[in-house]
Amino acid sequence: MTNKSLLVVDDSATMRQLLCMTLTRVDGITQANITEASDGAEALDKVRSGSFDLVLTDIRMPGMDGLEFIRQVRSELKDLALPIIIVSTKGADEDVQLGMNLGASGYLSKPISMARLKELVTNFLGEH
Amino acid sequence: MQQEPAEILNLFKKSEELVDMLRKGRAFTEELMCENERLRYRVVQLEAEKLSPSETLTKELERLRFENGRMAQKLEFLDGKFQQVEAENKDFAQRYVEVEEQNESLANLYVASHRLHSTLDSSEVVECIKEILLNMIGSEDFGLFVVDDETGALVRSGYEGETAGGPEKANIIPGEGLEGVVALGGEPFFGESGDEGPRACVPLKIKDRVVGLIVIYTLLSHKKGLSVLDHKLLELLAGHAASALISSKLYSMTDRKLRTIEGFMSLLRVTQGGGND
Repeated sequence: MTNKSLLVVDDSATMRQLLCMTLTRVDGITQANITEASDGAEALDKVRSGSFDLVLTDIRMPGMDGLEFIRQVRSELKDLALPIIIVSTKGADEDVQLGMNLGASGYLSKPISMARLKELVTNFLGEH
Repeated sequence: MQQEPAEILNLFKKSEELVDMLRKGRAFTEELMCENERLRYRVVQLEAEKLSPSETLTKELERLRFENGRMAQKLEFLDGKFQQVEAENKDFAQRYVEVEEQNESLANLYVASHRLHSTLDSSEVVECIKEILLNMIGSEDFGLFVVDDETGALVRSGYEGETAGGPEKANIIPGEGLEGVVALGGEPFFGESGDEGPRACVPLKIKDRVVGLIVIYTLLSHKKGLSVLDHKLLELLAGHAASALISSKLYSMTDRKLRTIEGFMSLLRVTQGGGND
């Protein structure tokens, strides 16, 4: 797997750090390839201006939440086949279902399982 | 009449020839019978050979039987070895999973302690503890209590969820209720999934002194329960959280005192300056 670029969106700095730490254990991902955003608006700006292979986003965030972020990405950047994975404290509840309907590619429940995260990320990056 | 003896002689001669021929026939018949006897004997001999294997064959059979036994033993040994290797393989796979889980916990602990000690602002420390309890432990309804130095009661500093946010959970008196008992005894409590009351009560201790308490009332719906690793992680986190809370408290106290002294010094300088004038 060649170097891949990822965007991690979460209002919790602790969660971002944990996700980054886990992601760097996936082949082809280094700390330098990971960009962080603390809310949906910041993430949207970064998606508009940058090029990413995968996005991991929380749902409940202050300002623009994860659902709105997914909606905006899918409506504004229709041609962009960007996989978005929801990382949520809620399992397969309504928010996650809504996110999936809006165009999310997969979801992961918190507390995250490193093995599951690595598996999911590897699958999406392999396909992309 | 003279011809008669000649004829008789001729007749004798012919009869002798016939007798001779008969003798030859007899000898030939005897010879045939002898050959027949010999051949019958040979047939019997061959049939006997056919029924009982020869010595070479017996030896070969014996050797093959021995080889077969040896191979069976080898197969049994290899089968045992295979099962042993398979068991070892399963054991390694299990240990790999355990190591991965421990690795996950260590990563969580590393990030959590790093975050907890990255600030000296007590409200940020409280937020950080909340984030850890939510995102890493999978708690849904939980409270964080800090000991009030003046009253000795545990005062709610942060919470998430309805139970922890209830008015009756604003303060915990040491020794009262499960939370109070844990705060007084200083030993963590972990409940079972079907139990009434908190799922976990973990005291925040610096050495033997309890400075606070983490109480988890419910876990996220998809989290079935707290594992042994979760218990260990919670206990380790509690240690880090306690020192982070106390550090931030001491820092803000020192900062406040420093500001007071600085203000007092400025006032003195102003007063002295005014006096000199």
